[in-house]
Amino acid sequence: MLFWRIFWTISVLVAGLCFAFVTLVVTLRGGHDLHEMFARLLEQKKHPDEDASR
Amino acid sequence: MVHSNSMNFAPVDWAIVAGYLIASLTIGILGRRYVGNVSHYLVAGRELGLYVGIATLAATEIGTITFMYYAEFGYKAGFAAFAAAAISGLVMIIVGRTGLIISRFRELKLMTVPEYFEVKYSRGLRVLTGVLVALGGILNMGVFLKVEGQFLTIVSGIDARHLVAVMTVILLLELIYTVLGGMVSVVITDFIQYVLLSIATILVTIYAVYHAGWTNIIDKISSTMGGAGFDPFLNPRLGLTFLVWQTLLWFAIHTCWQTTAMRVFSMKSPKLSKKVMTWTGFIFLGRGMMPMLWGIAALTLYGTGQIGGDGVPVPVVGGRALQPLEAMPAMLAQILGPGIRGIVVAGMLAATMSVNSSYLLGWSSIISQDIILPLRRAAGKGPLSSKRQILVNRLANLFVSLFVMFWGLYYKLPGAVYLYLNITATIFLAGAFVCVIGGLYWRRASIAGGYAAMSLGAVGAIIPYFFLHWGENVTGFCAFGLAAVGLLAGSFAGRGQASAGRTAPETALR
Repeated sequence: MLFWRIFWTISVLVAGLCFAFVTLVVTLRGGHDLHEMFARLLEQKKHPDEDASR
Repeated sequence: MVHSNSMNFAPVDWAIVAGYLIASLTIGILGRRYVGNVSHYLVAGRELGLYVGIATLAATEIGTITFMYYAEFGYKAGFAAFAAAAISGLVMIIVGRTGLIISRFRELKLMTVPEYFEVKYSRGLRVLTGVLVALGGILNMGVFLKVEGQFLTIVSGIDARHLVAVMTVILLLELIYTVLGGMVSVVITDFIQYVLLSIATILVTIYAVYHAGWTNIIDKISSTMGGAGFDPFLNPRLGLTFLVWQTLLWFAIHTCWQTTAMRVFSMKSPKLSKKVMTWTGFIFLGRGMMPMLWGIAALTLYGTGQIGGDGVPVPVVGGRALQPLEAMPAMLAQILGPGIRGIVVAGMLAATMSVNSSYLLGWSSIISQDIILPLRRAAGKGPLSSKRQILVNRLANLFVSLFVMFWGLYYKLPGAVYLYLNITATIFLAGAFVCVIGGLYWRRASIAGGYAAMSLGAVGAIIPYFFLHWGENVTGFCAFGLAAVGLLAGSFAGRGQASAGRTAPETALR
């Protein structure tokens, strides 16, 4: 039981830190990605019905 | 169900929630201007970058429903439940690192998972898979609104008799921007919602552990469950069969689950889809373990009632005995102060809307692209224009919303929400995963084998669970086992009937 207790304590700490770290990076750099996506979508919009019916 | 007559929300909480809803809806509607054709509507023109890809994939699979079922699971199984969370994250990292299935899917430029079945097998099997995916997916989503409504009514203190109204408002808000802007709106709102829900997740974890106390948490699990509260092999709810089934299921979910796969399809390149999957795997570790910890904290603080049917003490809050599912939101209503409660509820609403909008889009895209359009072609009718396809998708969206609303109102869950969701997913995932693995990595997989795998996988999940009332572990094994037997037996029996076998990207359907 002691092994699992220590194992899960460390696991939840690592999981929480990973969650916080990835969230921070995504928050800081995601805006640029969105901006790029908008530009490319507007570009694509000039070529309608590409990739339409399958 | 908690019947509360007093509002837990202060004016500042209402202001935060209203501000979030208005901003989210406005931004979502603005996404409409970027939609030019059906690939914009369904896969955002395949223009997602790494960071937005991570945000939208994580937001899609983290909802209030996720927090509720994981907290309930933590309440009932203690730390041993963490094994399920660890499996979900580790399997996702493995899929990301190896590119198992997802790289090939992205190379094929698919828009839905059943579309692969026409590439590899036949149009008929695509339609059958579409029907099963839609059935399993909609049944799965069917309980979301009810559970999410329960969370919101308990935390905010809105009278439980208004649950239907709360459900309707949630559904309408997410429906508006999903119908109008499709994947583009979903991606934009997902990004904002991901940031907000992550802040809420971290805040709640800190509050829950602070109020319950780490030593008290350990002591409570030890005294209530003994070693089974920590060791997943000893816990009667889990055990080896559960862990193996979960591993299989999570491999299937991370590769063949429509809403997850849609993000893979939306990435700029196969290489980027692998990266997104790997990094989101690390988020998935916390996505499971943190809400499970909230459930364990709720057991520590309020698990003072008699031992219930689940073998754990019933939660008692304010003199009222609750269901284990209600323990976590009831705890939040007690421990969060004004302002923080508003931020957390706005975060949970964000989580709710990101999941539901993606699921609405995911299941309606299956109905339109894999059932209606192929049947239309089989009837000899010509292809639809992009605009018409978008219209069909929007109508399918409305249909799914109505079904979800009624199913949520009238269906009574037989057990833990987490396990119900796993089984309804297994209806199609067992067959789909086996067929996709067979189709990509086994030359002899045939159309007959595909039909047998999909049919037996669905039968193996539906009959044992809904009619014979078998346990979830056995049902899950049964479905995956039958699907594998179906593919092997059908492929050997129908050796003369070759599959389409067009797996190279250049031969993908156009």
